[in-house]
Amino acid sequence: MTPIDFISSALLIAGGVFFLAGTVGLLRFPDVYTRLHALTKGDNVGLGLVIAGLAVQVQSWFTVGKLLMIWVLVMLASASISHLIARRALLRGIKPWKR
Amino acid sequence: MRRRSGSLGCRMSRLSGKGWFNDLMNIHFRSVWFRAVAFTFMWWMLTAGSVNSWLVGAPVVLVATLISMVLVPPFSCSVVGSVRFVPFFIWHSLRGGADVAWRAFHPKMPIAPGLVEFPLRLPPGMSRVFMVNTVSLLPGTLSVELGANRLKVHVLDTRKNVLSELIRLEQIIAKMFNTSLQDAKGDECNEEI
Repeated sequence: MTPIDFISSALLIAGGVFFLAGTVGLLRFPDVYTRLHALTKGDNVGLGLVIAGLAVQVQSWFTVGKLLMIWVLVMLASASISHLIARRALLRGIKPWKR
Repeated sequence: MRRRSGSLGCRMSRLSGKGWFNDLMNIHFRSVWFRAVAFTFMWWMLTAGSVNSWLVGAPVVLVATLISMVLVPPFSCSVVGSVRFVPFFIWHSLRGGADVAWRAFHPKMPIAPGLVEFPLRLPPGMSRVFMVNTVSLLPGTLSVELGANRLKVHVLDTRKNVLSELIRLEQIIAKMFNTSLQDAKGDECNEEI
């Protein structure tokens, strides 16, 4: 196992942990707003780490660029869509859960 | 009194001259060039530098630039500010992910959510949209509604002081977009950016 392989697998596993955390948050958190917190932030970091893990393995810079572009586009989409879902929920009168 | 009216007259003549027109064309031309170069770079990267693909790529870049000029009016953006934003953003989104992961895995689920109103000082336009999107990716905050001069933010833990972090984010974004922060009433803020 080369050092590159080691770094890559560490990053990929860490990314998987964040995706898992996002999903656990989606299942455990009490209302739509807190669930959006878990999904946007958990998946953003998870995808970022997975992409970093893949980027250290690839041979060509073009592929690194493509991977980075995927990350930026997914981040843009998830941030805007989570804002739209939260705004719609508030307009519909869904009250945020309080402890 | 006289001197004052003179300087005012001078300013008026400069306004009625071509100065403002040149400024307007400058920012338009600069952003057309910048966007065309950015789309060209993207196409070059997606096709891995293939020469034949430019038969399709050149028209696509042209159309994408035109559509983007119609959909997103030109805005000014500082290169230094944008480069500085990247490490800030990566560090804080890592923190945000770790924070929410910890709360999700914790058996007692330590959250105390609530809504917070944040008075926006960024001018309307691209910088505000950018702020709304960034807030959702930073630790413990989710932008819910963009009002006239305030942003409703859902906070995962109201015991933490998120306002100071939001103010810091706002300052960084203002630097990135070359704008100054203004008070809710519309006066210039005394804070120098």
